[in-house]
Amino acid sequence: MEEWKPNPAVKPHKKRSWYLAWKYKLMNQRALRKLCQTGAVLFLLVTVIVNIKLILDTRRAAYEEEEESAQDYDDEMLNVEVPRHPVNNKKVLDVEVYSSRSKVYVAVDGTTVLEDEAREQGRGIHVIVLNQATGHVMAKRVFDTYSPHEDEAMVLFLNMVARGRILIFTIKDEGSFHLKETAKNVLKSLGSQVAPFLSWRDMWTFVGKKGGEVYGEKHAKSPALSTWGDPVLLKTEVHLTSVEDAECHWPDTELNRRRRRFCSKVEGYGSVCSCKDPTPIEFNPDPLKDNKVFDVPVAVIAGNRPNYLYRMLRSLLSAQGVNPQMITVFIDGYYEEPMDVVELFGLSGIQHTPISIKNARVSQHYKASLTATFNLFPDAKFAVVLEEDLDISVDFFSFLSQSIHLLEEDESLYCISAWNDQGYEHTAEDPSLLYRVETMPGLGWVLRKSLYKDELEPKWPTPEKLWDWDMWMRMPEQRKGRECIIPDISRSYHFGIVGLNMNGYFHEAYFKKHKFNTVPNVQLKNVESLRKDNYETEIHRLLGEAEVLDHSKNPCEDSFVPDTEGRVYVMFIRMEQEADFTTWTQLAKCLHIWDLDVRGNHKGLWRLFRKKNHFLVVGVPASPYSSKKPSAVTPIYLEPPAKEEGAVAVPAVAAAEQT
Amino acid sequence: NGAAFSKVRGSQSGRDSTRWHVVRKFLGLISSHNIPVYLIDPLVLGLVDKDIEQIRSSPDGPSPECKYFCTPRDFTTFALLDKTWKHEVSLFRNAEKMGFQWLKIINKDPRLDGMDDLSGMEIPLHYIFKLASHAIHLVVFYERSGNFLWHGPLRLKHHMDRKFVPFRKLHFGRYPGAYEKPELLLVSIDDLKVQIPKNPSSFLEEMSHSRFLECRYREARAFFQLYPDDASLDAVEFRKKAKSLLHLSALTLNNLGVKFWLSSGTCLGWYRQCNVIPHSKDVDLGIFIRDYKADIIPAFQKAGLPLKHKFGKVEDSLELSFQGEGDVKLDIFFFYEEDDHIWNGGTQAKSGKKFKYLFPKFTLCWTEFVELKVHVPCETLQYVEANYGPEWKVPVKMWDWKSSPSNVQDNGVWPIDEWDNVIQIY
Repeated sequence: MEEWKPNPAVKPHKKRSWYLAWKYKLMNQRALRKLCQTGAVLFLLVTVIVNIKLILDTRRAAYEEEEESAQDYDDEMLNVEVPRHPVNNKKVLDVEVYSSRSKVYVAVDGTTVLEDEAREQGRGIHVIVLNQATGHVMAKRVFDTYSPHEDEAMVLFLNMVARGRILIFTIKDEGSFHLKETAKNVLKSLGSQVAPFLSWRDMWTFVGKKGGEVYGEKHAKSPALSTWGDPVLLKTEVHLTSVEDAECHWPDTELNRRRRRFCSKVEGYGSVCSCKDPTPIEFNPDPLKDNKVFDVPVAVIAGNRPNYLYRMLRSLLSAQGVNPQMITVFIDGYYEEPMDVVELFGLSGIQHTPISIKNARVSQHYKASLTATFNLFPDAKFAVVLEEDLDISVDFFSFLSQSIHLLEEDESLYCISAWNDQGYEHTAEDPSLLYRVETMPGLGWVLRKSLYKDELEPKWPTPEKLWDWDMWMRMPEQRKGRECIIPDISRSYHFGIVGLNMNGYFHEAYFKKHKFNTVPNVQLKNVESLRKDNYETEIHRLLGEAEVLDHSKNPCEDSFVPDTEGRVYVMFIRMEQEADFTTWTQLAKCLHIWDLDVRGNHKGLWRLFRKKNHFLVVGVPASPYSSKKPSAVTPIYLEPPAKEEGAVAVPAVAAAEQT
Repeated sequence: NGAAFSKVRGSQSGRDSTRWHVVRKFLGLISSHNIPVYLIDPLVLGLVDKDIEQIRSSPDGPSPECKYFCTPRDFTTFALLDKTWKHEVSLFRNAEKMGFQWLKIINKDPRLDGMDDLSGMEIPLHYIFKLASHAIHLVVFYERSGNFLWHGPLRLKHHMDRKFVPFRKLHFGRYPGAYEKPELLLVSIDDLKVQIPKNPSSFLEEMSHSRFLECRYREARAFFQLYPDDASLDAVEFRKKAKSLLHLSALTLNNLGVKFWLSSGTCLGWYRQCNVIPHSKDVDLGIFIRDYKADIIPAFQKAGLPLKHKFGKVEDSLELSFQGEGDVKLDIFFFYEEDDHIWNGGTQAKSGKKFKYLFPKFTLCWTEFVELKVHVPCETLQYVEANYGPEWKVPVKMWDWKSSPSNVQDNGVWPIDEWDNVIQIY
């Protein structure tokens, strides 16, 4: 979609500007607005019809081609010479950049490469990077510099762009409110004369070469606080350089050929495209001794967040015991840039035509990805499922290699997950410790093929159900009382901030402080004790040794737990029946752990760490471990907040699921 | 050793030694890249098979003469398991350095074809390495669900050189093929170390009917557009049971060495929707009566499937039914071959009436169905149309096996004195 090739056959330069002049003149006149709208609707209709016809024709053509190829291979076929595209000698690009309150667009040689007139969206500075030799769009970003910190992200991005690239800037609505000195200086260093003085609701366009000449700049000041500057339209020409000048001179190896392909197409990946000192794209981490998961396929579920995917794959390919041949990246949609990232690392990627919308779309993408994984690796008994916004711990595969036999042998297990919902910096401590939990955390997990093929796949929610796949998997009809194995310290880290149900605040509150293991080769402790019956023995042993905390104190206070280390403490909370999580939720809230729904419980028991002591919470009388409560102890009851507040939390729960 | 040998060969006619040299160079190339290939060339394996005992017993012995790789032919065919190599580009650069010209034939990955709207990368199906007057045909095998190996058809795209080699003479690629995973043996023939199938004659036998039919996934999708799939709990449960019954039946019959195929409703389900028809309520298999074995009934009983009824006799209209788990029935129809058609019989228990179902002649192909490698009639459309008529694309829930089929004929009545034998109900 972002692919753009200069087309010498089209010379719309003049036509376009005439059209625009006309169009924007009309726009200011109310009487003619209606006419414009009607025209637009008609135009849209025609476009839709033409497109449908085109799609039908293409389908038919594809079908016919296949029928034909089904004939014997030695059949004489017409020798159709595919006409080669004429070599493009054009050395100059026409660039148009428009900035206004409600619309921005960028056209290169008559082709629109950016157009944003959506309401309430796309505010700030839009940046486009073009390849200086081919004119290809290499990156498109928007930084909402009306809001804080976005200017820092822009500076980071601009610093990553290679010298010689062509940069195009345009402001939509407002781009100056949080544009700080540093950012203004960076723009100034790119040759902008206006940037240092950009102010409230100014309109601005700028085209320049990084580290080189300026091709044009236009600016319209806002006359008053309540109004915007007049729209500006910048028209300029950019001189293309030779391909050799636009590329780095890396030694000719298979890896560097991949790198070159990548770096000539996209921008914004930092040192991977550095001419002098490019960062490696092959990692060769140490192999694992006796790796039980070497032949387990790894499905990476991705959307259109190529920078996330890049970060994710780097960490995955750096994990000890990784087997790149088993990795498949499933991209939801025909996005080019994620595929470029996949190819950069020499992995295989599969694109998936989006089905349905929002959460159901994710759910259908999951199903297609899982089915495809087991089709591609028919021998596999398991699949590792990862998402594009996860960091993978260096001992991720080591952790799985030590525990996977449990999933094979223990029928009461539902999954192994790398993620502990309650494993925050202040509540997780022991990298060698595992738990059994009744909830399915996701975020890096292992799925048993038989579970998928026999149970989940045949009744996977259909597209019109609009269900979250993970919510669905957590439902009792699916989980059937089975449990997941999780580590105390997570082996994955959820770094995604932009997501379907994600935003900065949510991430800060629930994910940022999550603990993530960075120690290699952790030897897991007592893995056999995680089997169904053994685990009960283990819990009873723990409870037997645990010291009962002082229940007269406030459990939310730090002083509730003595200033010791390495001890085991237990507290009892009120839990009237299996589904009564009133007190637990309040406790989770004040401990600053996951409180949006119940996670990490095992038969009314929660295990975490406080002040480096193992801290057990037992729900009385619902938990079978209630018998361990001394008769003198009254279970703690925490009052839920007033109703209104509780109601606010409900949408948040729904929003939290697909992460 | 090899050098001295090649001198000896050089003294023979030039044509003969070219083949040997090309094979030697190719084996050198792929071993330098650690790519494990094995010989599947039917001509060479045919010759090897004649001397297999001797070759097995002297894996290192020098050959007095070039008996195998020098035989006149245009190609030598090798197989490569896709998962055993990493698609290194350097292989091809080195091949070029050695003087090989090469051709790669890629196509869609059939393992993703059954899936809605997935587009993976195209996968390599065949390679041809040409040097002088000889060429190596490298067939890429992929693992498929159902524990078997698959190779793709060889189809040339428009821009390809049709005269690169005489494609018509290739032994693999006219159709896709399905094979068991072979056991391999490292041997030395004509002083070249090469892996071959441990039992060349059974490999050659397997090759002669290896033709594979892909399910018609696109048509199946179109079918489900018209008639949305039944996703009710009952349907899910039935499919699960039917699948496991089919797996158990295949295991039982394969152990006996009895060839069978998907018949009736099960065949229709495969052909029309690439899945079990959830309202079909049973699993139907066909077996040629010449493949009948008396062990079939005890073998199924041993597998936990009691005999439900037995109609007819080996000489006429034999039909067996076994009781699977949870009300799912396994019907086995035996097929009788005539000069110009094939038929199977039916019997109505209460009246002793006989029926005959006629089919045009057919051969058997492999396919993949519910994670199983099974046979279906290659001429599936004719088979399905014979059975279900031209309206087979429309689902019918009310089906009467005595009157609904298009190909049913009355076939008289069993004589009363035979009833005890030809109508057995348990």
